[in-house]
Amino acid sequence: MAVTTRTGDAGQPTTAPPRRPGDGRRTGRAGDVGVNVFSHVVLVGWSVMVLVPFAWALLASVKTSGEIFGSPWSLPEVFQWSNFARAWDKGVGQYLLNSVIVVTGGVVLTMLLGSMAAYVLARYRFPGNRLVYYLFAAGMMFPVFLAIVPLFFVVQNLGMLSTYQGLILVYVAYSLPFTVFFMHAFFKTLPTSVAEAAFMDGCSHAGVFFRVMLPMAKPGLLSIGIFNVIGQFNQFVLPQFLSPEKPVLAQGIATLLASQRYEGDWGALFAALTIAMVPVVVVYLLFYRQVQAGLTSGTLK
Amino acid sequence: MRHGQYRFIVGFLVLPLALYAIFVISPFVQAFYYSLTNWTGVSPQFDFVGLQNFQTLTQDSLFLRAVRNNLVLLVGMPLAVILLALFYAFLLNVGGAGSGVGVRGVRGSGFYKLAFFLPQVLSVPVIAVIWAVILDPTPTGLVNSAMRRVGFGGSGWLADPNLALYCVLWVLVWGSVGFYLVLFNAAMSSIPRDIYEAALIDGAGRVATFFRVTIPLLWDTIQTSWVYLAILALDVYALVAVMTPGPGGPANATQVISLQIAQNGFQFGRAGYASAMGVVLFFFTLIIAAIMLRATRRQRIEY
Amino acid sequence: MGTPNQYSRRLFLQRAVLVSVAAAGGGSLLTGCASGGGGGTESGGGETSAENPFGVQADAPLDVVIFKGGYGDDYAKFHEELYKKKFPNAEIKHAGITDIRQQLQPRFNSGNPPDVIDNSGAEQLPLATLADTGQLADLTPLFDAESIDGGKIRDTLNPVAIEAGDYGGKILVLNYALEVYGLWYDKTLFDQKGWQPAETWDDFLTLAEEIKGDGIAPMAHQGKYPYYIQQVTMDMAVKHGGVEVVKAIDSLEPNAWKHPSVKMAAEALLEIKSKGYMLQGTEGLDHIQSQTRWNEHKAAFIPSGSWLENEQKKVAPEDFATTVAPTPLMDGSKLPFQSTRVSAAEAFIVPAKAKNVPGGQEYLRIMLSKEGASKFTELTAAPTVVTGAGEGLDLTPAAASASELVKAGGDNNWNYYFFVWYSPMRPKIETAFGELAAGRVTADEFCAACQKAADETAKDPQTKKRTRS
Repeated sequence: MAVTTRTGDAGQPTTAPPRRPGDGRRTGRAGDVGVNVFSHVVLVGWSVMVLVPFAWALLASVKTSGEIFGSPWSLPEVFQWSNFARAWDKGVGQYLLNSVIVVTGGVVLTMLLGSMAAYVLARYRFPGNRLVYYLFAAGMMFPVFLAIVPLFFVVQNLGMLSTYQGLILVYVAYSLPFTVFFMHAFFKTLPTSVAEAAFMDGCSHAGVFFRVMLPMAKPGLLSIGIFNVIGQFNQFVLPQFLSPEKPVLAQGIATLLASQRYEGDWGALFAALTIAMVPVVVVYLLFYRQVQAGLTSGTLK
Repeated sequence: MRHGQYRFIVGFLVLPLALYAIFVISPFVQAFYYSLTNWTGVSPQFDFVGLQNFQTLTQDSLFLRAVRNNLVLLVGMPLAVILLALFYAFLLNVGGAGSGVGVRGVRGSGFYKLAFFLPQVLSVPVIAVIWAVILDPTPTGLVNSAMRRVGFGGSGWLADPNLALYCVLWVLVWGSVGFYLVLFNAAMSSIPRDIYEAALIDGAGRVATFFRVTIPLLWDTIQTSWVYLAILALDVYALVAVMTPGPGGPANATQVISLQIAQNGFQFGRAGYASAMGVVLFFFTLIIAAIMLRATRRQRIEY
Repeated sequence: MGTPNQYSRRLFLQRAVLVSVAAAGGGSLLTGCASGGGGGTESGGGETSAENPFGVQADAPLDVVIFKGGYGDDYAKFHEELYKKKFPNAEIKHAGITDIRQQLQPRFNSGNPPDVIDNSGAEQLPLATLADTGQLADLTPLFDAESIDGGKIRDTLNPVAIEAGDYGGKILVLNYALEVYGLWYDKTLFDQKGWQPAETWDDFLTLAEEIKGDGIAPMAHQGKYPYYIQQVTMDMAVKHGGVEVVKAIDSLEPNAWKHPSVKMAAEALLEIKSKGYMLQGTEGLDHIQSQTRWNEHKAAFIPSGSWLENEQKKVAPEDFATTVAPTPLMDGSKLPFQSTRVSAAEAFIVPAKAKNVPGGQEYLRIMLSKEGASKFTELTAAPTVVTGAGEGLDLTPAAASASELVKAGGDNNWNYYFFVWYSPMRPKIETAFGELAAGRVTADEFCAACQKAADETAKDPQTKKRTRS
């Protein structure tokens, strides 16, 4: 195996194999330009479809309710910054904090426990291995709704309703199936030679896992990490029923929508959406560079 | 060595398994049991009614409607998302004016991936609220006023029983394509370059390389994505509950199983009946996943 | 609480072995021990007296949860002050929320519900289920108790309050707000234009044509929630065929929805739609959106209940006079023009397992005093079921016109209960009305769809049928 590192912008690999002159260039420049223009048109089209609703929501956060529905395409007469104050008064800040705490705890724990289980299942033979694996995999087929009421009683008996630790543990439990499934496939593809070498050097089983295997599995960890951050951040059903008194962001938005149906304060609702979106998007923009680098560097063969 | 190995295996598995058993398996088994009772969900007493709930289900017009809508989403959404994501990944790869193959971005591919991926970081209720307002059915709604300027008439969108479900489908696709694009792209970048080199030496063009080399090597990722998307399509509760009027849409056009479970379990005080729906949904998912994994099974390509 | 607790403990211990308790038996047992009167409930403990008929323990805390919707929750804070005046040592916990069910269902399931709940709004708990499973304290003693202003409470209320709270012979719910339904318009605008709400269907169509000619849509409705348009359609059907029409529907009688009056009303609604009298796109609007457009004079009439003015307070222009008009009469109507559906809403309940049942009942008794009820009307502009509590108040146009209509209708006013009694049927019926209002089905198809939903409900083993005579 070889590890090639690439620069972040999908440029040339640093260890480019030698290129023989004249190979691989089947078309002339004209064809390239045509393909290039077409690609850009299509890609820009989709980008617009994604960005316009998002930008429009941001703009709606400084409009009055009348302007949002009366003249959707125009800029507001006066920027209604008071929308934000009203939204904040409705508890958006607290919702955001709850979300961040729960997702942070949930994802870290999910990644750790999920990789541990997946690693053992992928690389060790023992009686019951398949059974445990299928038990986890079956969890993916599992409509959360089926269990929501009994789950409520389980969490309650543990005294964990509307607590961070309760939500974190439930998030982890429900994220495990896909994490195990995904990482299992990934660990299967890792070469054995490096691990064997480490065993020769006298590493313990756990040592091999933490020092050799986990670093090698970084791309997989990143992909599934993103899955989990998104999944847990967007989780709405579980907190809705298990954490009524400590709402996370997704719940908070739904609650605000429900309450503004009576108050008719659309401006404040969009301000709340903006408060909910902007920090996440900022984090995403910062984080995305690492994701890109992580996904494109240290690629394994 | 062996002894140590078992200790290690148990040590690594005990925590994940314990959590999983307590929070997933046990409620799940209990739910199967509740599906055989007439439990209301708001009182601690109930009777055992056998399969009565399942019998009622087969005659519940609303539930059957929900099943039908779920099937539409189940077929349409994974198909649309994967095709679009692959198509865009292909464009990102072959659209570049530069030389070479593999992950050769068009200029600005970083920006495209950034933009496409954006909906993924927004929580579902946020997306639902935005689209509900954009698709406002009045002439002054954002989409309608845009269409009017271009000379088309407006439309009822989520208020139109013929369109509402497709609006939901659209929002699902809109939100998911970016993630799968990035995922496929990342998977492509893990394909060894010398495979491409070999293909090029054989004189294959970019399109041929994409179809004959890239796609087969991505097959595992595509298959995983497919299963994941199917499960997402079966459980669209948050989007439908927040976005569509009712919820459940005009003429129940966007009624889905998860919504029915929530409605019966909580609004109507029929937790037992709702559990029966959950059991149906469970088998539904199981069958779908089995079919998909079987249908898309191919030789693993080792490299 | 003796028995219920033993119950849940026993149930907990015998989870594996299924304990089946006949709902009625268990119910009467639960309500029997939880009803007031101070007899044997540990939660009581206070002495009963004329001042304290339920034997409230003076220092027992009171946990109140209010649905904070169209009426807000300021009125409840006032009632809590009155309670506090009476029991200074009682600690009162107040919550004003919109997602009643999400927050309270867990508490019901764990046997830890609040003492007083205003169970209303889109996310309300299933009332009929709570009633049938013995989860609600019997309020009959409350209705039979002495009113704070003297006289039996029962006699101080509009009879619809008794009828609406009655579940199988026991009064389990106090529906507090008197809701008057009809077609609402801006009197200021109508006076200015010289328009009058029409009494007959033909006149209504003539008026609608005139309004349309003026560039205003004659009618808007809250299309996202077909409940509203359902309301005026049913109104016209009942006025035409008499109250028997809805009594048959409430009793799930075969072919109740195929009554000629229902079909005629459905055809009337289709006529409004086909003649272009509906605000464009109204099918996709929620209540705030459509009502706001109505406030902006984009539409002349809108169906709603007497909470409308309060709900639109922030949006309505200064000189807007929200006024109710009865629905017009189709040819051959049995009831007079000046009659309407009057319902008692805002369902206040005291859970059987509440820690302070007597306190909950006493709180409701305070609500039913003249002082408590008139404050509600003052703050919300909506009348209550307490007769004459709104008198002497400087009423808003909406409250004044609604009170007048209640008086004018007298014994001709009616109410119906199928939505509360058969919650699983509700979405099916509302869907049918939504389709009808959008003009996507014929009157016959509509009647058939509703009848199908009713027959499904009647066949359902888990639905308790109720009858009205």
